[in-house]
Amino acid sequence: MDTAKKNGRSDEILLEVRGLKKHFPIQSGFLRRVTGYVKAVDGIDFYIKKGETLGLVGESGCGKSTTGRTILRILDPTAGEVIFDDPNIGKVDLAKLNRAQLKRVRPNMQIIFQDPFSSLNPRLTVGQIVGEPLAIQKVASGQALKDRVAELLQEVGIRPENMTRYPHAFSGGQRQRIGIARALALNPKLIVCDEPVSALDVSIQAQVLNLLEELQEKYDLTYLFVAHDLSVVEHISDRVAVMYVGYIVEMASTEQLYYHPKHPYTEALLAAIPKPDPRKRTRPIKLPGDVPSPANPPSGCYFHPRCRYAEEICKVERPPLRDIGGEHWVACHFAEKLQLQGVTRLNEIPLIELPRRQALVPATTAATT
Amino acid sequence: MTNVATGTGAAATDTRIVSEDDVVRVEDLRLSFYTSLGVVRALNGVSFNIPRGKVLGVVGESGCGKSQTGLSIMQLTPGRIESGRILFREFNTSEVIDITKLEKNGPEMRKIRGNHISMIFQEPMTSLNPCYTVGNQIEEAILLHQTQDKTEARRRAVDILRKVGMPNPERIADSYPHQLSGGMRQRAMIAMALSCTPTLLIADEPTTALDVTTEAQILDLMRDLQNEIGTSIMFITHNMGVVAQMCDEVAVMYLGRIIERAAVDDIFYDPKHPYTISLLRSIPRLGVARGQKLESIKGTVPDPYSTVPGCPFHPRCPAAIPGLCDTVMPDETFVAGSRTHTVRCHLYT
Repeated sequence: MDTAKKNGRSDEILLEVRGLKKHFPIQSGFLRRVTGYVKAVDGIDFYIKKGETLGLVGESGCGKSTTGRTILRILDPTAGEVIFDDPNIGKVDLAKLNRAQLKRVRPNMQIIFQDPFSSLNPRLTVGQIVGEPLAIQKVASGQALKDRVAELLQEVGIRPENMTRYPHAFSGGQRQRIGIARALALNPKLIVCDEPVSALDVSIQAQVLNLLEELQEKYDLTYLFVAHDLSVVEHISDRVAVMYVGYIVEMASTEQLYYHPKHPYTEALLAAIPKPDPRKRTRPIKLPGDVPSPANPPSGCYFHPRCRYAEEICKVERPPLRDIGGEHWVACHFAEKLQLQGVTRLNEIPLIELPRRQALVPATTAATT
Repeated sequence: MTNVATGTGAAATDTRIVSEDDVVRVEDLRLSFYTSLGVVRALNGVSFNIPRGKVLGVVGESGCGKSQTGLSIMQLTPGRIESGRILFREFNTSEVIDITKLEKNGPEMRKIRGNHISMIFQEPMTSLNPCYTVGNQIEEAILLHQTQDKTEARRRAVDILRKVGMPNPERIADSYPHQLSGGMRQRAMIAMALSCTPTLLIADEPTTALDVTTEAQILDLMRDLQNEIGTSIMFITHNMGVVAQMCDEVAVMYLGRIIERAAVDDIFYDPKHPYTISLLRSIPRLGVARGQKLESIKGTVPDPYSTVPGCPFHPRCPAAIPGLCDTVMPDETFVAGSRTHTVRCHLYT
């Protein structure tokens, strides 16, 4: 099953993030003096190889969307390096580029947003929305632009005749397809998918996930897949990184992370997934308290107040993210010692084959007579 | 195979309207919205019952009428109930009330709403009043239904907050909703809903807005409270995982109709309706077929102003029978050899 995904994946690194930080100032009082910082992303390191999907998971407020946006320079990072291997220019540090330089790199990195209702301009037609990146980068104009837009819409499963319609005429799933077409317009290398399916119904979610996988195979895309649904991430990712309060606590291959987690937070997260199998009812691991505020994080390891394995050292020293072998990165003092529980594989539900139409005809005639 | 409609024919003659074990029985409920763009038929003959102390899961995609079913029982729906009955019997009484006959804001309905039947809404951010403390809002229900004594109400409010696992309930009772996190607010909502120990609790997507760890804790809490109080729960959700973890029985809805109804184990291990099967196949399952395509249901839910002839699922159904499914609406029938598993599909008639 993994061999299919490995095709087209190489060991070349497309994006490397080193010590990335994004702090938002808290201003207060009449003079808007800065009284503190919300450390949304607080020094994270990771890399994405060409053609792979890195899932980025965590609870709301842990900084996963901010990470995606800071990489693309939608937000300016506070510190750190974002090294992107641009096919035309070579390796560049996105964090240091100015506007003009960024514009040259931008075609290769795009984003798909979470909410298909607010990420499409209601006053532009679908053709204009999908064509906008082409127009801005002066790639095509006139008939050529129209043809390209039609081709893109076809690619994502929207009829090109719909080019002149406005976003309100489409359903959530269709709008998300339009957002995908827009992201594809300039043949990017990297696409940040910021919760692309969380606003969709399950049946539509499957359609969009399949589309993303097809496109990845066809255009050799690399995804940073930000999501909070752990089952979806397991399905689509080659590797997964878990974030907690602005920090990556564990990063490993999907297989390793889900079945052999090494960080207590990952363990708790996995135990909490509602499993679609009534014969496997699970009780969650009790996590006392709430996710701490990134404006006022606890000392030492940020997870220690809620961790059931915490010891003295966890209160004072923040564990670094280190490789414990086999590209399994963990930020825990006791990663080697702890015996943690991963998820159990679910049985494939013995779904019956839907009866064939031909076979049915006699059955129904029998029933009606 | 017996037809359910005729099977319940005896019950409809008022001799034993609600069987001993049921707290609520909905019969052929039809609900419409009259809008400037046309009539939306939100519910087209929904029938089900919820046994005492059981959890019924109602699943389906958005727009299939699951929330409206819940709101109809509470008489909170903005739509018009065209026909059908909602028979309700509270704890330890033999009196059966038809909720649809009651005036929406009449004293009888007010006596039931929040007292015998209560509801938890999806958005804990918008369903709590930001101007009152959490304690005030819980006390309001208690003062209305249970006691006139304010100190007693306060004591009970703090008690129930402690029961839902709030740390330091006295302080929480004096907090305003914005001071609490999402999970705490949802706990406060649950506390409010349970403050009068209702016979029936309608939970409308209670965990959809929450993070997965918080969701797991809330589900665990609801399970414990349900065991303790013995409340029946109607659990509305679109998450099949939550259904598997929480429910005893499941009703799958599509376009204002229940298309399959069975015990939770049968729904997951022996699903019959093509929609249920497709729905189960379209969710990613841990450790199963990773890297392979998910099975998706083609097309989308039809627009609510139009009416689909025949079975409402036939345009998307992989097993649709031409000439039958697109013209004749299938009846709800028992699956062969089962007394509890019903399905509304021509494949099984």
